[in-house]
Formats: sequence, structure tokens, C-alpha cells
Amino acid sequence: MSTTRPDLLDPSTIAALGRIEIVARWIVDGFLTGLHRSPRKGFSVEFAEHRPYLPGDELRYVDWKIAARADKWVVKQYEEETNLRATIVLDVSRSMAWRGDESRLTKLAYAERLAAALALLFLRQRDAVGLVRFDDAVRSAVPPRVRTGQWQRIVAALDDPGAGRASFAPVALEQAGRLIVRRGMIVLISDLLMDPADVISRVRALRHAGHHVAVLHVMDPAERDLPARGDALFVDPESEIEVPAASAEVRAAYRETVDRALGEWRDALAGVGAAYEVITTDAPFGVPLRRAFAVRQRLP
Amino acid sequence: MIDFLSPLWLVAAAAAAVPLLLHLLRRRIGARVEFPAVRYLARAEREHSRKLRLRNLLLMLLRMAIVVCIAAAAARPVLRVSGAGHAPTALTVVLDNSLSTSVIVSGHPVLDDLRARASQVVRAASPDDRVWLVTADGVVRGGSRSAILDDIAHAEPLAGAGDVEDATTRASTVAASAALPEREVVVVTDGQATAWPEPVSLGAVTVFAYRPAGDAPPNRAVVDAGAQPVRWTPGGAIQARVMTPDSATYRITLEGRTLARGTVTRDEPVLVRAEPPERGWTAGSVELEPDELRGDDVRWFAAWIGPAPAVRVAPSAGPFASNALEALVEAERARTGGGITIASADEVTSLPALLVAPSDPVKLGAANRALERLGIPWRLGAARHGETAVRAASGSVPLADVTATVRYPLTPRAGTRSDTLATAAGEPWIVSGPGYVLIGSALTPDASTFPVRAAFVPWLGDVLSQRLSADAGTVMAATPGATVVRPTGADALELPDGDRVPLPDDSLAAPARPGAYFFLHGGARTGALVVNPEASESDLRRLDPSALAARLRGRHATTAEDGVKFTTAIFATAPRRPLVAPLLAAALVALVAESAMARGSRAAAG
Repeated sequence: MSTTRPDLLDPSTIAALGRIEIVARWIVDGFLTGLHRSPRKGFSVEFAEHRPYLPGDELRYVDWKIAARADKWVVKQYEEETNLRATIVLDVSRSMAWRGDESRLTKLAYAERLAAALALLFLRQRDAVGLVRFDDAVRSAVPPRVRTGQWQRIVAALDDPGAGRASFAPVALEQAGRLIVRRGMIVLISDLLMDPADVISRVRALRHAGHHVAVLHVMDPAERDLPARGDALFVDPESEIEVPAASAEVRAAYRETVDRALGEWRDALAGVGAAYEVITTDAPFGVPLRRAFAVRQRLP
Repeated sequence: MIDFLSPLWLVAAAAAAVPLLLHLLRRRIGARVEFPAVRYLARAEREHSRKLRLRNLLLMLLRMAIVVCIAAAAARPVLRVSGAGHAPTALTVVLDNSLSTSVIVSGHPVLDDLRARASQVVRAASPDDRVWLVTADGVVRGGSRSAILDDIAHAEPLAGAGDVEDATTRASTVAASAALPEREVVVVTDGQATAWPEPVSLGAVTVFAYRPAGDAPPNRAVVDAGAQPVRWTPGGAIQARVMTPDSATYRITLEGRTLARGTVTRDEPVLVRAEPPERGWTAGSVELEPDELRGDDVRWFAAWIGPAPAVRVAPSAGPFASNALEALVEAERARTGGGITIASADEVTSLPALLVAPSDPVKLGAANRALERLGIPWRLGAARHGETAVRAASGSVPLADVTATVRYPLTPRAGTRSDTLATAAGEPWIVSGPGYVLIGSALTPDASTFPVRAAFVPWLGDVLSQRLSADAGTVMAATPGATVVRPTGADALELPDGDRVPLPDDSLAAPARPGAYFFLHGGARTGALVVNPEASESDLRRLDPSALAARLRGRHATTAEDGVKFTTAIFATAPRRPLVAPLLAAALVALVAESAMARGSRAAAG
């Protein structure tokens, strides 16, 4: 039953059931229950099928028995395991520690659980996974590895309290690029309350370096639709900027502006070849996982 | 133009400041809310600031409009609108049909023009209006429009001035008493200055006045005529005054017979002496050649012609009475004889008599007994000493510088009906009744200055002829339609054509037609009622329109000289539409719009 799968439960409900690593395991288990195994093939230990030999193939993968019996050169193909090195770049700035309603997770809590689940999912795929946490600077970094205990290290890093200052992603993205020696995948999880030009510039550089970039834009539903607070003074917790507004009067204009801003992010990231998804904190974790996993599956 | 019937409610419109203040103070209230996506909010406000400001401004204006509309509706506004139709109106038309409006101008009486203007106004009234007609004699006529039009068509000029101001006041009262939203008085008048001597307060009605353009034509008129004295014995004189810009030819008649003709120049008095053969009460007239205003070309008078009264003066009356009688005999206004007795009251044994108080207080009792015996309802009181001024009663011969030093207060008996001819210290001093005249002091210098004053001889002649003669009687002057008191003893009025009208009441209305009428007692003439128009009615000078408007003190007064413009002016301003319903509808529309706009923004946000 899909309704019993943890990845499809209400995020705040499942988050209340245990620590990050437990919750993340439930999420990934549930997610994988509804997912076929990766169709991608590689040169690993688990045999998959044969294919004709092509010049350039390593000779050690040639099936000599078939060559001797059928006078035909074929090579063995195996389930791929460690063919991707991914780094999750997580925004831990002060704006992420906000929620529009007590019944929901903060954007940071949601993002941390999503990052843990995503890391576990990647590791289950034999991908090397690392983590970079940042606000206005890089606060912690776990290089991508596929070895045992890597996920525990990532989860432990997620437990770091973080500085909770203003967010500045370019440095973190640059750091993530440095952590990946060969071409890999970088997943940015952030509320993107920052200067788009800096982010786009950094993403473009990563793309030039051959990395694939996926941006998961985490938003609280109250950031999509301005909450009804009457006449109020709205204050940015990071910059302390104050804007007086009558919520009833500007809600429509606000929604329109947010939609336009998201569209600008989507277009700009698409322009540099990066994937972009908007995730609200009331969406089950299965939703962003499926989107991120789909990005991963499209990679060569 | 908008009028407010309850203007105090306009104060409530000040509440419109509340939305304005809320609009101005709006951004200064509210809680402090932490919100990370402030950058989107700031951008939204920046990008939509014009739209948001416009919407807020519209909301504020709508809310202010709601308050203003409701407050204005409570003030019960009415709008004057031009065009077809008008609000139901109580319309009173004052038609000035005084004598002066019968003057001929351009071949037609001015009254024709006034009637046409009045008819135009009435015809323009709608079935929802109520219309009355008031003529210069103060008669109010109501009814349907056709009936009023008929009354206007048949309105004839009065023989006198009437009272246009009083008629206008009545008209305003009639209009104001109607339960209609609009109350108007329309005055069509020749604008004669003497008809509008002072401003008339007309209350809250709107007044429209019309007077013909231009000046009135010059007029010739007999403004005064009378017999001097009233009793000719048998000679007398006719005194007259003619108003003429240059010279005029006059004719004096007596009982239809020409008595004299002549020419008189401006400001020159007319005095014609005569000793006609007629006897008794006689009617006469002073006439001019006909001019544009015929009604004042003839003026009537009446005179009694006959032998002088026979008078006997007793020694007890004093030497001054004897001397005065001698003067009257010499002037042929009296003769010596036994008809009328002048004597101390204690000596008089028969009437008619002029009774004077006794010079000796001892005779006071005998005097009162004589009065009792003669049936005179007055008694002489105890003598009072001290100089007291004597005042002649209104209508009597003036008694200048007359004082009483010793006087006997005259005390009436119950039910006494007599005339007081003079008073001293506020008490009757000379009284008169049928066949007697009683003086409260002796005719001696130590009792009164009366016998030595110049007024004594004319007074004595007047009393002898007017009050003590066997056929004594008075001439009363009146204007057409005026109320006059019936003379004592008169039981009928003889008209010029010989008909007789009984006089059952103590007062009577003077005939509408000028002329000389005679009071009758038992079929015999006992006096005359001379009816002539007011002399002031012959002065045709007109007030200019602004002066006429100033005389009419209503809520608003407008004067016009052009007939078409006059009618147009009335119904250009007369329509008054109540604005309560439109204002409430506007408030409702504004309320719906405000709700829709506010709800629309909430729905769009939600």
C-alpha cells in the first residue's frame, strides 16, 4: 500500500518518529520499494549480459569461453556500482531555520532529512556521496566516498548545529567541485534566498568542469503564499531588512512575484544545463527523492 | 443647485475623514513578523506599487464616498434641475387688478398683459401642482387649473387700490400651508410704487414677480373733492385738487347737473362757490376729460343743502356762545330762532340742545336732574380743579390749545351709546348723542379756554349743523370695498340708481363702485357715504424690478419684465428632485464595489 510507504507520509509526521538516520532509512526503503533497480550497466562484479566486443574494450572482460566455443568475441557486462561521485551542498543559513506554521518542519530540518535520504539512496546505488554545509561560508565538508560508514559520517555532519548566518552558495559550490576529482553530480539544497547571479555563475563553472548540477529549491508553503498577518512589519531574519505591508492587499502581487522569481531561477539554471526543482516542506520526501533520483538516472 | 432640508446632518460627513486617516496611518500599525522571503515581498511592492496604491486609493475613496453619500442623504438634499417637468408645487398667483392696472398702454389695459402672464403660469402648472389665485382685494380662489384660468379671464379691475401687499401675504400663507415639496408665490403686478410702500415678509416661499416693461403713462386725476362745509345753508363751496402734469379742464356737477366748468393748472387748487337750488342731501362730482386711466377722472362728493339751523342762546351759556352764534349767523351758517338751545345744563328743558356745565357748582344737582329728565345718559360728577389739556377725538374738529381748569367729569349710565368728541385727562369732556351735545365745563374763561380759542366758532358751527340740526347727518368717506361703521339711526343705504339696501349690521362694506350713497332712516336721507378711489392710486409711477424684488422678502425673489422669460424662469428653477434615493443607491453601489474590490483582492491572494 502506497499510503504506508514512509516516503509518502507527511514530512513532519515521519520526522517525529526518530532521528535523522532512522527516518532517512525508512524513507529510502519505502522509496526503493516502489522503484525498479537501476537499468544502468557497468563493469562490476554482478553479471548482467553479453555484448559484442568493440575495439577499445578491455581484454579482461572478454568472455573467452564463448570466443573459443563460438568463435565470436563478446564482452561481459555487470551491474554498475560506483560510477558516480555526488556531493550534496546543503544551505544551513538562518533563513533555512524558519517555518511558516508550527505543524511543519523548518526548511532546514526538511532539507537535512532529504539530504540524508538522498545520500543513503546514492550510497545504495554504489555512488560515492559527500556533503558540504554552508551559510555565508562553508561550515563543514564530507568528501564523497562510497566506503562503509560514509553515510554515518554524513549524518553526523548533518547533526552539526551550523552557524545559521546569511547564505552565500558560490563558495560552497566551489568547494563541492573541488571535492569531486572526476566528473560527478552536485545537488544543491537551499531556499535560494541569495543573489541569483552569483549562484548561476558558479553553477556555470561547475558545468564547464563537467559536473552535473541539480538544484532543489526548498520553500515553506508560507513563502509561496504570503500568510494572512494583516498589517505587519515583515523582517528578514538574515539581513534585518523591514518591509511594512498589508498582507491581504499584497498577497496576489506577492504570489505573482514569487512565481516570476521561481521562473527566473528555472530559466537561468536551465540555461546553464542544471536541473531545478521546487520542493515545499509539506511535500512527502518521496517527491524530491524521485526528482533527484531521476536526475541521477539520466546521467551517463 | 442643491438645497438641503436637514442641513445639520451634513456634519456627519466629517466621518469621511476616518477612512482617510486609516489610509494615511495604515502603514504605521501592525505587528513585527519574521519572514525570510522579504526580498520577494519588497520586490512585489516595488513592482506593483502603482497598482497597489491605486487600489488602496480607490478603496479609500469608495469608503469616503459611502460615508459622504449616507450623510448627504440624511441631510435630505433636493436638486433643482432644468428641463421638462417639475416637483409638485403649491403655486399661488397674485393678480394685481387694482385700479391702476386699468390704465391703457398701447391700446390695451395693463391688466390684459397681467392676465396673460398669470394664465401662462397656470397653464404651465402640472396636474400634480395645486394652484390658487389671489386678487388685489384679497379674495382667494382655488380649484382646478381650468377654473383658475376662468377666474383670471374674468378678473376685472378694482375701483380702488385694494391691498396688493396684503394679498401677497395671504398668498404666501396659502402656499406655505400646502403639503407639497415646493411652495411658490407668483406676483403679476404693474409694480405701482404706492402699492408696494414697504417690504413684505413672505416666509419660506419662493417668489417670482412680473411687472410690465417701461414706465407708466402720465396720468390726470381728481385726487380730492368735497363740499365746504358739508352743510350748505344754502350757499357753500366745492373744493377739489387735481393731479395733472400741465393743465386740465374740469367740470363740477350736482345731481347730474353741471354746476361749473374750468381749467386748472398743476398744483392749483379748485374752489367753486355756489348756492344751488337743490335741498337736502345732494350728490356731486368733479370730473376731468378722459385719459389713459379712466377710474380716477371722476371724484364724488356729497353736501347737505338747506336753511341754516335756528339757534337760541340762553344767558346761562355765557357771552362767548352768543358771540360765536352771531358770527355763524353772519356767515349764514345759523340763524336765530328756537330750534336749538344753547344753555347751562340745569336750564335746558327740551332737545335739541347744546348743554354746558353750570358755572356755579351749586347747580350741579339741578343739572343732573335736567339730564335725567331729558333722557341724556350722562351725569356730571363733582367738580375738579386744575388746568388740564383737552384733546379732540379722532374725526372731530381739532381743538388746538384748549384747556379745562374747572371741569365736571362726565359719567355714562349703563348701556350708553354715544360719541365722545373730546377728552380731558383721559376722561370724556364733550359727549354727543341724539339731539344733544354735553360739555363738561362752563363756557367761561375761568373754567376753560375753549370759548376764547379760534377753534370754538368752527366747532360750534359743525356741532349745530352736524349733530343738533333736525336733519343732522354726516358724510363718511370710504374707498371701494372698505369697511365702514353704520351711522347711528341709519337703516338702509340708497344707491345712485335709487335702490335701497338694508343695513342690519353695525358695519358695512363700502360699495365697490365709486359714487355718492346716502344713509336712510325711515326713508329719509340722514347722511352720505362717498366712495372714491385712493388718491395714491392715481400715482402710476412704478418701482424698478430690483426695488420690487427687494419688497418681496421670501426665500428667494426674482423679478422679470419679459413675459416669456418670466414663465421660463419659474419652471427653470421650480423642479426640485429629492436626491435621497439616488444618494442611497450610490452609497449601496459604492459599498458593493468596495466589498467586491476587497473580496477580490482576498480571493486573488487566497
